[in-house]
Amino acid sequence: MLMALLIFAAQAALIAALFFNLVRRRRTERVLMVKEQELQKHRDHLEALVEERTQQLRMSNMEMMQAKEHAEAADQMKSAFLATMSHELRTPLNSIIGFTGILLQGLVGPLNDEQRKQLQWVRTSANHLLALISDILDISKIEAGKLQLSRETFDLRAAIDKIVQTFRPLTEKKGLRLEAAIAPEVGELYIDARRVEQINLNLLSNAAKFTDAGSITVSCTTEDGKYLIRVADTGIGVKKDQIDEMFKPFRHIDTGLSRKYEGTGLRLSICKKLLELLGGEIGVESEWQRGTIVTVSIPVERRPT
Amino acid sequence: MKGRILVIEDNEQNLYLVKFILENNGYEVCEARDGREGIEMAEKIKPDLILLDIQLPVMDGYAVARTLRTKPDLAKVPIVAVTSYAMAGDREKAIAAGCNGYIEKPINPDIFMQQVEQQLCLRADGGEGK
Repeated sequence: MLMALLIFAAQAALIAALFFNLVRRRRTERVLMVKEQELQKHRDHLEALVEERTQQLRMSNMEMMQAKEHAEAADQMKSAFLATMSHELRTPLNSIIGFTGILLQGLVGPLNDEQRKQLQWVRTSANHLLALISDILDISKIEAGKLQLSRETFDLRAAIDKIVQTFRPLTEKKGLRLEAAIAPEVGELYIDARRVEQINLNLLSNAAKFTDAGSITVSCTTEDGKYLIRVADTGIGVKKDQIDEMFKPFRHIDTGLSRKYEGTGLRLSICKKLLELLGGEIGVESEWQRGTIVTVSIPVERRPT
Repeated sequence: MKGRILVIEDNEQNLYLVKFILENNGYEVCEARDGREGIEMAEKIKPDLILLDIQLPVMDGYAVARTLRTKPDLAKVPIVAVTSYAMAGDREKAIAAGCNGYIEKPINPDIFMQQVEQQLCLRADGGEGK
């Protein structure tokens, strides 16, 4: 009897256990299902979110492209405007420089000293204006990608000698020492001669302009298949954090300076851009109130035989 | 008289300036104010040299140079482009059109005659026997 009771109890316990187990499993399944649904909801939401973000990205990409196109178009227009303006400005200058020149040659008749002096001032100013216009035309040509380089055999040694001689009267007038040191191996290049001369001219003009006492030294050496042209001066120099600014067009380092030193502030940026086109480089070391060293490297290329 | 030069130029002051310098240096100057007139004048007077502006009314300087080069009796006359139209490749374009030289405006009165006479000499050296 006791045995039978025990067996029944055991069976009942087993059944109860199974029942509870079943209930638990059902509950777990229900929970799982709910979770699954939630998960699906999140998944759907996530997809929508991704879709939305993609859309936003696509829009902002498109806006960026449009902004870029607008900026490029504006840049092209600026360059075209500058080129046209430069051309229009040169036409009247043709008259000013031309007629001043023939008056000074005495072709029209003899001049007295005062007339000669004043006409020389007109000529100097007109040539200065022409140089400024040429700089603006150059930078706009370069920025519009319209500058074409030519190639010819070019004697770098002779060119440096020549430019140094050109500057000698000016440096002597300012009481500056002007020295040139050209290494014996410096010789010929196959390159756009006019542009290399323009770079040398700009470097020396800057050195002469910003140096009031001391010296200017031009040196040229070769290193790793490159010609290194170095123009060192004992002029006003620039502060370290302003060196990068020097290469941006139309930037004079500081407004206080630009009042003393007139100009467009284009020379160095023209040099930098020309050197990029010529496969060279330009670097500046400078110490405020002490002086500046500008180093230009130009790859040595010879005429293909 | 050193020679006869045709100046094709539409700007009055530029024309006066160039003519003044050339005449003072002993040249005979003929003038034309547009491209077509320039070609007609060249055929009529057979100049020793032509100074050619590029931006001209009726027919631009490039077209004038190309046309002149097709005429047998004018094919050897030196043509010098004189222009302030200093955009990239203009020099090359002028040479390709048949010009022999290129003088950029503003002209420099101190070296202008030298630039012009260099072209006249080149022609003389070229066996014309002038």
